Amino acid sequence: MVDLVWFQLLSAALFAIGIYGVMARRSAVLIVMSIELMLNAVNINLIAAASHMEGIGSFANFDGQLIAIFIITVAAAEVGLALAIILRMFRNKSTVNVDEIDLMKW
Amino acid sequence: MNNLTDNLELLTPEFALAGLAFLVFVVDLFLPKDRKGFLPWLSIAGLLALIAGSLVMLWDEEELLYDGLLAVDAFALFFKIFFMGLGVFIILSSMDFVKNKLDHQGEFYGILLFSILGMNIMAQSRELLTAYIALELLSFSLYVLAAYAKGDARSNESALKYIIIGAVSSAILLYGVSMVYSTVGVTKFDDIASALALAAEVSPALWVGVALILVGLMFKVSAVPFHMWAPDVYEGAPYPVTAYLAIGSKAAAFALILRLVAEGFVPAGDRWEQWQLIIAVLAGASMLVGNFVALAQKNLKRLMAYSSIGHVGFILAGIAALSSSSDLASNGVMFYLVGYSITNLVVFAAIISFFNMTGKEMIADLGGLADHQPFLAASMAMGMFSLAGLPIFAGFTIKFYLFTAVATEGLLWLAGLAIFSSLISLYYYLQIIRQMYIEPAPAADGGGDLLQAHPALTQRPSLTLLTVLGSGMAAIIWLGVYPKPLIDTIQAASRAILP
Repeated sequence: MVDLVWFQLLSAALFAIGIYGVMARRSAVLIVMSIELMLNAVNINLIAAASHMEGIGSFANFDGQLIAIFIITVAAAEVGLALAIILRMFRNKSTVNVDEIDLMKW
Repeated sequence: MNNLTDNLELLTPEFALAGLAFLVFVVDLFLPKDRKGFLPWLSIAGLLALIAGSLVMLWDEEELLYDGLLAVDAFALFFKIFFMGLGVFIILSSMDFVKNKLDHQGEFYGILLFSILGMNIMAQSRELLTAYIALELLSFSLYVLAAYAKGDARSNESALKYIIIGAVSSAILLYGVSMVYSTVGVTKFDDIASALALAAEVSPALWVGVALILVGLMFKVSAVPFHMWAPDVYEGAPYPVTAYLAIGSKAAAFALILRLVAEGFVPAGDRWEQWQLIIAVLAGASMLVGNFVALAQKNLKRLMAYSSIGHVGFILAGIAALSSSSDLASNGVMFYLVGYSITNLVVFAAIISFFNMTGKEMIADLGGLADHQPFLAASMAMGMFSLAGLPIFAGFTIKFYLFTAVATEGLLWLAGLAIFSSLISLYYYLQIIRQMYIEPAPAADGGGDLLQAHPALTQRPSLTLLTVLGSGMAAIIWLGVYPKPLIDTIQAASRAILP
């Protein structure tokens, strides 16, 4: 079995790329994609941890997989909502560039 | 491990609340356009019935559900009643605004009810995943509500900023959950506490996990330095939603933080003391930044946003002062949440009715309000005095109790800082009162008489808003003069979560 630490490194790298994407991308849609990347990094971490964990008695500890399923569901809903809001933004302002979305400051 | 369906009937209020929300959605489909005004009353009646029902059913219950994922105890009951009561008053103060300024009235109330359901479960959950799902139920409803003025680019912008920051903070919170899970293999609060207390040496991964969970939650309550989203979101969102964001969502996030810290970290003994300082520093920064930046604001909503950041600092100071030896700090936090919410409700109800009359939202526009609307000005002034913490109002007793608790728990410098920033806040709160009582009325846009441009300024505010203002003012005075019954209830709630 591959050592847990490699999965954790992969997940940390993905999470960091996601955060970089959120801060560096200018298009709101790509920011949402970067957030997805962060959430999937969490999933990798959880599933790898769960499969490396000793269970209690005859039960395997699969809380990690369970949490991952919940996160996938919530993430799908989150993207749906975010895209709907971005669509509204585009209808009203004809742009999804976050640099131009600056009606309110300070 | 007990059976998962044991005691399921204790969740009846939550099931009924979800049912009520769906009922509002369905009834909305069948009502003709001119009869939609029935829906808020349906929601209010449902919430009042649920408050009464929960009180009768859950009084003195102490149970754990689903193998300890949810707790039914005095703490959960206290916050349940509090959130549903807030819901009633938020609906009362949003009725006119929603009817005149927003489309799709029915869904507004349905989504509001769903967010209250999320808040109720947040106060009950004793496990990280459950808490997260409840938090997302609340946040998703708030994203939709913030975007509710579809044609208004400012509302869109506020919702876009809110959902991006909210999703990033959720991802950070979840990464913390995954770190905690991968090091100790548990997600229940009390299991985390025993893992923290028992381990001979706490691994760095666990510290990172706990830190990320705290950062995620600090984003949700908009503590400095994770506060930058709050003023923009508050300014753009429709008025009742801003009120709801400032009052409800913060109180719910603090209910969650309170239970997490009290059940998950405080029992870990000296390992919790290492965290106290970090939270205390965040609290101090929030007080100072919130109150100082508020001095420069010209827009009422932004002013309230920064003022709420300052108040978050005070409440966080109470969280930092939590300890296993006394319940003073946790009482203080809950008492502060109640008093602050009621005061904020009065202030926002006054701002909403002013906006309904004139459509203006700058502080300078308040000039001369005491002449045309004496009652509105009086209630706003009372709210401002209470926010600033002057005696005989709720703001004084809650600050007195909380700061005493913080000082007794050994964070004397933080209590001093809190009093200092509270003094600073007096300046901008009094500015608003000065504007209303001393400054003359500004000219209407493009010159001309203000009262002719906005004839609504000469009529009295609507009955629903007057109800909110009147009962809120009564509650402010009551809490300021005779808070003992509330404190007794709060003490019972504290005993349920503290070790």
